[in-house]
Amino acid sequence: MQWNLDKRVVSEEEHTKDHGLVIDYDEVGRKGALGGGEKLITKWYGIYQSRHPGNHMARVVIPGGVVSSVQARRIAQVGEDYGQGKLCITTRQCIQFHWLKAPALADMLRDLAKDNLSCFHGCGDVTRNVVACPLAETCQYRRIDVLPYAKQTSRVLTESRDLDNLPRKFKINFSGCGAGCGQPFINCIGAIAVLRKTDSGDEETGFKVVIGGGMGWEAFIGQELFSFVPADKIVAVNRAIALLFRDHGDRRDRTQSRLKFIVHKKGIDFCRKVVLDFLEKENVDTSDLETVLVDDVGDAYPDRPLLEPNPVGTDGKATVRAMIPKGEMTHLQIRQLAALTEKYGDKRLQFTQRQNVEIHGVKPEKVAEVNEEIAKIGFETEGFFGIRDIVPCVGTTYCPKAVTETRVLYDLLMPVVSKTKYNEIWDKALINITGCPNSCSPYRIVDIGFRGMRIREKLGSVEAYEMRIGGEHNRLGKVIGEFKREDCPRVVEAILDTFLKERKDGETLAQCVQRLGVAKAEQPVAV
Amino acid sequence: MSDDKSLSPFLEAVKSLNIDYEMAPIDQEYSTFTGVGAEPLDFKSYAKDIPCQEACPAKTRVPHYIQAIAEGDHDKAYLINQEDNVFSAVLGRVCSRPCEDGCRHNWTDINGPVHICHLKRGASDYKKNPPAPLPAWFEKTGKRVAVIGGGPSGLTAARELRRYGHDVTIFERDKVLGGMMVQGIPIFRLPRTEVEAEVKAIIDSGIDVKLNTSVDAPMMQQLIDEYDSVLVSVGTVHASNLKLPGLPDDGHAVSGLKFMYDYNMGTMEDGSMKGQSVIIIGGGFTAVDCARSCARAALRLVGEEGKVTMMYRRTAGQMAAKYDEIEEMGVENIEIETLMNPHSARVENGKLVGVTFQRNTLEDEIPQSGKPRVHSIPETEEEFPCDLLIVAIGQTRTLDILPEGVHQNPDDGHLTSHEKVFMAGDFNYGSLDVITAVQDGKDAAEKIDTSLMGRQRRKQHIAIEMTNVNGETGRVRDHDLQYPVSMPVLPLNQRDGTAEVELGHDLDGLQVHATRCYWCQNKFEIDHDKCIHCNWCIEVAPRDCINKVSRLFYDEDDFVETALETDLNDEATYIWIDSKECIRCGKCLRICPTSAITMRKTELCGCSTEEFEEKEKENQPYGAVPHFKY
Repeated sequence: MQWNLDKRVVSEEEHTKDHGLVIDYDEVGRKGALGGGEKLITKWYGIYQSRHPGNHMARVVIPGGVVSSVQARRIAQVGEDYGQGKLCITTRQCIQFHWLKAPALADMLRDLAKDNLSCFHGCGDVTRNVVACPLAETCQYRRIDVLPYAKQTSRVLTESRDLDNLPRKFKINFSGCGAGCGQPFINCIGAIAVLRKTDSGDEETGFKVVIGGGMGWEAFIGQELFSFVPADKIVAVNRAIALLFRDHGDRRDRTQSRLKFIVHKKGIDFCRKVVLDFLEKENVDTSDLETVLVDDVGDAYPDRPLLEPNPVGTDGKATVRAMIPKGEMTHLQIRQLAALTEKYGDKRLQFTQRQNVEIHGVKPEKVAEVNEEIAKIGFETEGFFGIRDIVPCVGTTYCPKAVTETRVLYDLLMPVVSKTKYNEIWDKALINITGCPNSCSPYRIVDIGFRGMRIREKLGSVEAYEMRIGGEHNRLGKVIGEFKREDCPRVVEAILDTFLKERKDGETLAQCVQRLGVAKAEQPVAV
Repeated sequence: MSDDKSLSPFLEAVKSLNIDYEMAPIDQEYSTFTGVGAEPLDFKSYAKDIPCQEACPAKTRVPHYIQAIAEGDHDKAYLINQEDNVFSAVLGRVCSRPCEDGCRHNWTDINGPVHICHLKRGASDYKKNPPAPLPAWFEKTGKRVAVIGGGPSGLTAARELRRYGHDVTIFERDKVLGGMMVQGIPIFRLPRTEVEAEVKAIIDSGIDVKLNTSVDAPMMQQLIDEYDSVLVSVGTVHASNLKLPGLPDDGHAVSGLKFMYDYNMGTMEDGSMKGQSVIIIGGGFTAVDCARSCARAALRLVGEEGKVTMMYRRTAGQMAAKYDEIEEMGVENIEIETLMNPHSARVENGKLVGVTFQRNTLEDEIPQSGKPRVHSIPETEEEFPCDLLIVAIGQTRTLDILPEGVHQNPDDGHLTSHEKVFMAGDFNYGSLDVITAVQDGKDAAEKIDTSLMGRQRRKQHIAIEMTNVNGETGRVRDHDLQYPVSMPVLPLNQRDGTAEVELGHDLDGLQVHATRCYWCQNKFEIDHDKCIHCNWCIEVAPRDCINKVSRLFYDEDDFVETALETDLNDEATYIWIDSKECIRCGKCLRICPTSAITMRKTELCGCSTEEFEEKEKENQPYGAVPHFKY
C-alpha cells in the first residue's frame, strides 16, 4: 500500500482495532502465546501481559465491587488453579489474577463464567468497571443507593456494541453523597447523588454529573456537566457521554485521547451540547437536566465518612472491614472471608478502592466476633482509611509499565506511620504509592502521594519517588520534591512531625497544607 | 525540591533534612535549545543527524527539500536546491550522488537509499516558475572580479560573487557557457535546455559574459592589472595520453573528452562510423561522464552492426558508474570487460585494426586504501578488433595560464602566491564531479570576498526550532516500507542519441520517493532532568535507537562520541536516543509520560554576520521551553 501524506488519521493501535476485536482463547492456548495484534485486543477480555514473560494478568469486572460469597469462592478457586494462589484487589474494585499462562486462559474464563463472573471489558478501550462508593447501599449519609445505577450503567454500556471501540479507556464512578468516597472527580464520569427540593416542595433525588477528570501525567479534576440529572436518566446520560467520547476522542495519539482532553481542549459547553444532541437522538427528554446551581438539601456529611469504624447503616446492620496489606490475598484467605460473610454478613463481599474487603450486614452485636475471626485470618480490622492504610499499585512486581517496586516503599513506610506518636493523627492522612505516571494508585488526590521514577546518579540510577502533599478527592496535591526511595521514610516523618506541630482542631493533613498555604493555593472545586 | 511557598512549613521541614543528590551532567547535542548555534558541537551533531547533507559536497539541505516535495511545494524544493547546489536540474540528472551512500535508509535495509538525485530532478520538473536569479546579499561594493572559465565552478563563483555585491565578468573559451556540463556530458543524459535555463538564471543576475575569449598568460596579466581579483576555473582540459606499443601518436586514438565534445556539439555525422568496432578504455572517476557516456554515444554512431566495448582494468565495484547504470548499459548492448589492461595496438595500412589486452588479476592482499591492487597476467594477451579507440583514462590541468612565478598555495588550493589570483573547481584539485565543483566555486567566492572586503561577511549556523506537533512529522511508519518505483526510461528503440533517456517520475512516483525519506532534520532528544527512566520509549522504539546508557564519552567539543550501553536499570545513568539510529518516527515522544522528549527542527543556514549576532540574542537557554504540566 502506498500512502499519501495526509492519510494519517489514526494511531497504529486503531488499525489493529479495526481488524476486529475477537479472540479465541482456545486458539491462543493451542498456539501457546498471544501474537501480534492479539496483545492489544486481549485487553478487551480483561487480560494483559505481565512483566514476567509468558505470564498474564486477568482483571475480573465487578461493578460496584460487590460479589456474592459464591462468586468469592469461585475467585478463590480460579486463583488457586491458575494464578499461583494469589489475587489482588485493585483500586477500582476489581480482582486481578497474575501468573496466568496462555494455555490456561480459556479455562480460566470458563470457570469464572460458571458463577456469572467475567473479565470482559476489564481493560481495553471500553467502559471499564463501574465503581461505586463502598457503603453505597446503606451509608447513613447517602442520598440514594447508587449501586443499582452503577450496575445498570455497567450492563447497558457493556452491552452497547457501538461502544466497543472507544478512543481509549472510559471510567465511571458513582458516589452516594458529596463526600467523594468514590473519587468522582478523577473519573471520566463522576455521578454524585444529590437531594434537591423541587419548586413544589417535594424532595427529588438525582445526580450531579462531573466529567473529564483523570489522573496520569496530565491530571485533571472533573468539571460539572449537569448540576442535576433525574436518577432514572443517569444511565442514558452516561451512554450519551460515552458517545461523545467515542466520536470526539483523539484517535491519532493515545496519550491525548482520554475524555479529560476533550473536556480540557474543547470546553465543557461543547461537551454539553454534544451530549444533549445525543440524548435527543435517542429520544430522551432533556428538559429536566439542570445546569444551574442546585442546592443539596440532604443531611450534612463529614469530610471522610469512611473513617467511622464499623459504621451502622440505614438498615441497622454494621459493616466490618478487613485491611488487606498491599491489596494482595491468598485464595485461602478469600475463602475464609467468604465463609465469614455467609455466617455473619449478607453473604456478599465488598471490595473497596483502598484495596480492602468489607463484610456488610453484620448484626452490631456480632461485630466484635467477626473482627476476631478476621484477625485469625491474618488481617487487621482497625485503621481503615487511615494513615496505615497505604495503597500501593502492583509496581514492578507484576506490571510491565511500572518504574519502581512500590511494595518496597510500602514496607519502608509502614514502620514510620506505625509509630505511636502518630496515633493521634491515624485518621488524618492517606498515603498512596504508584509506580509510574499512570497513577493506578491515585497519588495526587491523597494527603501524601508518591509516584515512581528513577533519579540518575553520577553513574547509574536509583529508584526514587516524586512526592506530593495536600491532595484531596477534589483537589490535586502539590509536588514537594523528588526523593530516592531510601530517603522517603524520613521525609514522611518530617512531614508528619510538622503536621503534628501545626495542626488545628480536627483538620486533615491536606486541610492543614491548604490552610497554611491558602494565600497562594488555588481554591478547591465547589462540591 | 519544590519552591512552592504555599507548601511551607512542610517544605522547610523537608529542606532541613538536607537531601541533596549529585547527578551526572546532562548531555546536550546542540549548544542551544532553540535559536541559532554555531559552535563546533552544533555542526558535529548536525552532521550526525543528517548524514546525506553531510555527504553532499555542497551541503544541500536534502531532507528539507524532500519534505517540501512531499508537501507538494516543488518550487520551494527547487529554491532550496538552487540556493545550495546552483544547478539542481543538472545535478538531478548527472550527480554522482554521494548523499545516497550516506542516506539513513541505506543502513535500515529497506529497499535501499532514498533516490535523492531523482527527487532533485522531480523538484525541477514540477516547479511552476522558471529558474530566476537569487537575491543579492549585499549592496554593490564597486569591486570587480574576473572569472576565467564558465564551467560549474566558475558560474557558481560568479553567482555568489554577484550576491556579495561585486561586479563579475566571465571569460569563456567556448561559444556557450556550461563547461563540462555542455561539453562532456552527453545530451541524451542532460538536455541542454536545462543547463541553459539554469545558466541564464545566473547570468541574469547581472553578470558580464565574454564568450569565445581564450585567456592566455599575457591576457591573464592584463586581467590581473584591470580587475580587483581574478578567479581561474578553467578545469582540466588536457586528456591523459595512453602510450601503447604499435599505436602511432595521433589520429588513431581519440580522447574521451574530444569525442564527447564533438558528439555534443553535433560535429559528428550520423552513420559515419556504421559497422565499426569501438573500444573505450577507462571506467574510473575521471571517465564517469566520458567512458560510460561515450560508450552510449558511440553505439548510436556505429549502429546495430557495430560493436562497442568498454575495457576497464579494475573491477565493476571500482567503476565510477553505479550498478544500475552498468546494467542499463548491458541492455543497450554495450559490452563491459573488466580486469583488462591494454597491451599493444596493431595498425595496418595506416588504419587501426586491433588492440591487444592482457588480463589483470586481483592481488590477495588489499591495501589500507581499500582499493584492491591489480597486476597483469603474462601470456593472456588477446586481440580485440578495433576501428576506433577512445581513451578516457583521466584529465589533467595545464597550469600555463598562470603568470610566471605564480603557483598554487599548498595549504589552501583556492589561493595562489599572487594575492589577486584565485583558483576553483577542477583546476584547483583535479578532475572530479559537478557537485564538488559547485561547492568549490562557493568556497572560492567566499575567499575572494573576504580578501576584497577584509573580513568574513557571512556566517553559517544551525537554526534550531522547537516544534509542537506531538512527534508527528507528517510521515507514518508505513511510508518506510513503500517500494521505490524505478525511474521510467525511454524504450530502447526510441533512443535516438539526442532524446533524454531518463524520463523523470510522475507525481505519484515522486511522492512515494519523497515520503520514503525519514526527514532527518527532525531531532528527537530526551531531557534527562525530566526523564524518569520508565523505559516506555525503549519499548516502543522501532529500532535499536533508544538505550539505557551508563556512560557517555565526549570529545573536546562536548560531542558524544560513544555511549556505553547497559541492560540493567541500576546501571542506567541516562535513557539516550542515538540520533544515528533514530528514524524519526516520533513514537517515543508520543509515549513519553513526562514530556521529556522534544522534537526540534534543525537547518543549516547562512546569513550575514550582523544578522547572526542579532539572532543569537534571541536564544533560549537549554530546557527553557515550558512543558504542559499540572
